[in-house]
Amino acid sequence: MDFTVFLQQLINGLSLGAIYALIAVGYAMIYNILKFSNFSHGGVLGISAYAGYIAATKFNLSLIPVILVGMLTGAIVAVLVEIIAFRWIRIKHRQMVYYFVTSVTMLMLLEQILIILFGSSFVSYPYTLVKVRIIHLGSVTISVTYMLALVAAIIAFGALIYVLKKTKIGIAIRAASDDFIATSLMGINVNSVVVAAFIVSGLLGGLSGVLYGISASLSPQIGQVVVKGFIASVLGGLGNLTGVAISAVVLGVIEVFLISSIGSGLSPVVIFLLMVFFLLIRPQGFSGLNAEDKA
Amino acid sequence: MDFYLTVALAIAVNTIAVLGTFILTGMNGMFSLGQGAFMGLGAYISAICVVNYHLPFALAILISIVISAGLAVLVGSATLRIRQDFFALATFGFGQAVIGLLTETVNVTGGAMGFSNIPHLTTPALAFISLAVAIALIWGFRRSHFRRDSLAIRSNELAAKVAGINVFKHKMTVYIISAAFAAYAGALMAFHTRYVEPAMYGWMTSVTWIIIVFFGGRDSLTGTVLGSFILLALPEILRFTSAWRILLYCIVILLIINLRPRGLFGNWELSLKSIFKFPKREKSVEAK
Repeated sequence: MDFTVFLQQLINGLSLGAIYALIAVGYAMIYNILKFSNFSHGGVLGISAYAGYIAATKFNLSLIPVILVGMLTGAIVAVLVEIIAFRWIRIKHRQMVYYFVTSVTMLMLLEQILIILFGSSFVSYPYTLVKVRIIHLGSVTISVTYMLALVAAIIAFGALIYVLKKTKIGIAIRAASDDFIATSLMGINVNSVVVAAFIVSGLLGGLSGVLYGISASLSPQIGQVVVKGFIASVLGGLGNLTGVAISAVVLGVIEVFLISSIGSGLSPVVIFLLMVFFLLIRPQGFSGLNAEDKA
Repeated sequence: MDFYLTVALAIAVNTIAVLGTFILTGMNGMFSLGQGAFMGLGAYISAICVVNYHLPFALAILISIVISAGLAVLVGSATLRIRQDFFALATFGFGQAVIGLLTETVNVTGGAMGFSNIPHLTTPALAFISLAVAIALIWGFRRSHFRRDSLAIRSNELAAKVAGINVFKHKMTVYIISAAFAAYAGALMAFHTRYVEPAMYGWMTSVTWIIIVFFGGRDSLTGTVLGSFILLALPEILRFTSAWRILLYCIVILLIINLRPRGLFGNWELSLKSIFKFPKREKSVEAK
């Protein structure tokens, strides 16, 4: 593999990794607070990707408004999911395992809504949405849709870091991630913290949905890409958003290189072997900081 | 074959796989997203043995179960000592890897086009007897100390270890049993539908079984079996609303989990004693 091809694949991998990072961080936000695998995040992502698609085809909006429509839809759907599937369990202090069951059911339900509304065929965003498709940089050809994902992810993470570190609600979210009960004892309204976390996770989900839809194509099963977020956040050491984002980018790069060298059929096999190897040598995850299991 | 008999047979065979998930997720609280892959392995290995190598049906099933159990030992020994989330992730990766392999080895498995021309060897009698034997096996497990060990591990692994339970060995046994159940169900299913393809065994299949276990009640064998009958028959009953049936199915599940979180049957078991005192149910605290 010569250097130009390598560089090109690296950029593709970083961009795919950026989308995975957006998915994974949205997923890990909810994991940190409620401690369960929120697969319904995939459904949120799917619905917002299609909302962006409608905004682009029916209303002929340009790129930035389309992304905003997707993010807004993501936030609304995420809050609805919280109300329908998780609030009752949380208020009744039921066990964590039920969250998992309702969240995968919500994923199936949202997927089915998309099938009913749009049929199960593939569609794609209008080609005119991104006007310039490729840039030549010396001998390297860069796909603009991929670069878009990279830039959007960087902006989104900048905003996320600001919100989590500087604003009151962000600090409350981090406190709730650390210890949910202690946070409620400190007089913080944990209900609104959970809703805020779902809004943030929905915004990220909507953004990743639209970006993934633009760079790939749309089908009702698009939500199942949430498993990449699942892989990245477990490997990243659940509980640490930086570790999650880094491992998502690494996953994207590895995936792009594997697909170009051994094909998309065998790459899950190699990824599985790498994953088991990684878990054996570093069971605490990428970041090394882990939500400890208390005795 | 009569339509109802065909559907009943498919439900019976799938219930065997659900019982595998019951013992794994319901009794022991281990979430595996790769159970569907074991079903796929069972289906493919037995079908290839019979079609390509002309082995007898029973031997082919035995081979498929042994290979699946062997793979379960490999995956389990790498992942059962570490945290629960990692077990879910590793089993998920295993499932994807198996599907990748089945899709890629085109000249043996037919790839994404599927593997067809499987003879029809699963008779209704075989399916129903297998289900009865599977239920009897698990009923037997639940009468031994196996059930109490499982409950202890599910509630608090560290405490179980302190109490002298060999947690790793127990989990490994459980994982092997559940893999064997799934592989056996897969083999029976392959010789019933006569056609298999990799896409049938993805992670959503495993998730569906977990949902069924929680729907029926993870503390109740009766609940799991009846819940499995209900949920597997529901899409067939709702066939008049083709597009909406999965939506309705999901709504039913959400309602049950929200309103009766311990499942439709809680911890109620079918027995002569429990039938007579069914109206006044004792209130019991759920173990974690």
